Amino acid sequence: MSSLAVDVLSGAVVGGTAIMFAGLGETVSERAGVINLGTEGCMLGGALAAYAATATSGSPWVGVLAGIGAGAALAAVHAVLVVARKANQFAAGLTVMFFALGLTSLFGAAYVGRQINSLDPWDVPGLSSIPWVGEILFTHDPLTYLSFFVAPAVWWLLYRSRVGLLVRTAGEHSEVLLVHGYSTSTVRYASVIAGGGLCGLGGAHLSIAYSNAWFENMTVGRGFIAVALVIFATWNPLRVMAGSYLFGAALALSPALQARGYGINQFALDAIPFVVTILVLAVLGKRTLLAAPDELRRVFETRTA
Amino acid sequence: MTEATIPAQFSPPDAATAAPPPASGAPGAPGAPGSPAAPAAESRLAGIGRGLGRWAAALGAALVVFTVLLLAKGANPFTVYADVWTSTFTNTPSIEQIFVKAAPLLLGALAVVVPARAGLVNVGGEGQIVIGAVAAGGIALAFDDKLGGGLVVVLMVVAAMAAGAAWAGLAALLRLTVGINEAVSTLLMNYIALDILLYLIYSPWKDPDGTGQPTSAELADPAKLPYLGMSAVHVGFVFALIATAVVFVLLRYTTWGFRLRVIGGNPEAARRAGLPVALLLLSAMLVGGALAGLAGMVHFAGVEYKLRTGITTNFGYIAFLASWLARHNPLSVVVAALALAAITVAGDSLQLDAGLPAATVNILMGLVLIAVLGWTARRKSGGNAR
Repeated sequence: MSSLAVDVLSGAVVGGTAIMFAGLGETVSERAGVINLGTEGCMLGGALAAYAATATSGSPWVGVLAGIGAGAALAAVHAVLVVARKANQFAAGLTVMFFALGLTSLFGAAYVGRQINSLDPWDVPGLSSIPWVGEILFTHDPLTYLSFFVAPAVWWLLYRSRVGLLVRTAGEHSEVLLVHGYSTSTVRYASVIAGGGLCGLGGAHLSIAYSNAWFENMTVGRGFIAVALVIFATWNPLRVMAGSYLFGAALALSPALQARGYGINQFALDAIPFVVTILVLAVLGKRTLLAAPDELRRVFETRTA
Repeated sequence: MTEATIPAQFSPPDAATAAPPPASGAPGAPGAPGSPAAPAAESRLAGIGRGLGRWAAALGAALVVFTVLLLAKGANPFTVYADVWTSTFTNTPSIEQIFVKAAPLLLGALAVVVPARAGLVNVGGEGQIVIGAVAAGGIALAFDDKLGGGLVVVLMVVAAMAAGAAWAGLAALLRLTVGINEAVSTLLMNYIALDILLYLIYSPWKDPDGTGQPTSAELADPAKLPYLGMSAVHVGFVFALIATAVVFVLLRYTTWGFRLRVIGGNPEAARRAGLPVALLLLSAMLVGGALAGLAGMVHFAGVEYKLRTGITTNFGYIAFLASWLARHNPLSVVVAALALAAITVAGDSLQLDAGLPAATVNILMGLVLIAVLGWTARRKSGGNAR
């Protein structure tokens, strides 16, 4: 039984990593007052760019950079529509999602089935031999280890640095930025694009570290899960980290059970994270709403027209 | 309930008034997007002219960028366009396909239009369509060998609309009771709906005589939606057109429609004027969900006949965008739905003729939307200060 727990938890850590990167990116973006439903698209773009760059250059680290760049570029489209053109954020995000879906299927067709030099799991010497904990935390690929540092770093940036203060002000009281001589647009551009870069990194993890393959629409909803996760985590990077493991565990549970011969319908399990998110939101209720950045709340309540 | 819960949804009045240009602030204000109350006839003509110009420019710009991308891919754009044009618009089966695909898109877009009138964002069309299809599929499994075809169709319509309404109504209730934003809850519920569908077709509803693929048993012939005349277009498109007319009349000529617009413009004012805001929001969402549920039924009983994975192929999201293209105007939605349906069908031609992945057309769809969203914003000069 213990090995089932280890399997599921280990799977949760590695499977939740892509969702965590995307969720952290979405957190940065939403903290600045912009919701990006194009997260799914940014992840797809990142996944393909990382895969293609790795295949071409032979170095997965070039792939990682390409993935970040592609995610940031797609988020930039969203930023232009939303910040400069004041388009509706939900519609603009979905547009970016479809745009990226199309782009990646057009340019990705050539990479289906290609072999790459992927980011292989690397056991951390010493730490990986700790019983249980070692196997759960320290037998993964380098990007997963990176995520252990990125989540606290994003938290520190948002809550303890000057840059983070600007980002959060853009999301809470943009007029204050104006009074102090900053441009809300610039801050939002930067936040949305940086957030897109993180989503791209999440996509890169999927294609060159987790699946080691590229196929059309390979993110299958992980970007939307990330959007849900951010709300679930009340816009807090550390809770995003914890939440991504919860979602990762739900994804890892059914294969682990099936491997042990339990006849279980995985779709009942797949629905759990979403049901849990709704229940948490319902229980937290108004507290969640209060935790939302003010300007973001205004986006939700924007009259559609 | 009404009095106590509403303020929680709508933060202080100033937030509501600071929100972008009220579509409804003054019903009939010239240029108020989405407001069907039109001023004089000639300015309406001018508006249509401007609208057509905007569409032409947006399509043109999108095509230019798409051409560049095709060149980058090494395809000859002109051959591609010629092939796609020929096989999409010059042969009857393809043109029929456009109408077949437009039926659920149109209904799904109306499911966005109605709640939007009251200021609600329904991103849950996808889930509501799935649930509608599941309800229709359930009726089919239970009754299609016991009752007459016509009766089964009626039952499927009723069940699908009820299921879609319930699915959307749940999101509305979550908003009205515990304050979960409907854009968030409808989005999450899309995945739950999909998991329900997958759960059913992988075990309890799996066709025992099937090929091993996870699908439900095929709908009995008498219960399949009939075709229009000699064409391959099923009556679902007529359902969609009727729904469009009904929605148009409801929104434009009834007290209910007017009240929804008031809420969409300024919920606080509506509340103080004594409107039953909670009830109206709920009703808008129920009607929207019912329309999306009908979309699911129409697609199931008119095209698919079996529940299967990927039955909706993002119809809900495409419909959401169609509604935005049409700026939530129930009549323009017909054009938007047909246009996006044509793009989808062109995708199939792209795959067959040019050997490019069908999903490539999503680029074109994305580009058109980017162009249109950009344009829309420019016209709203100065508004939307956030």
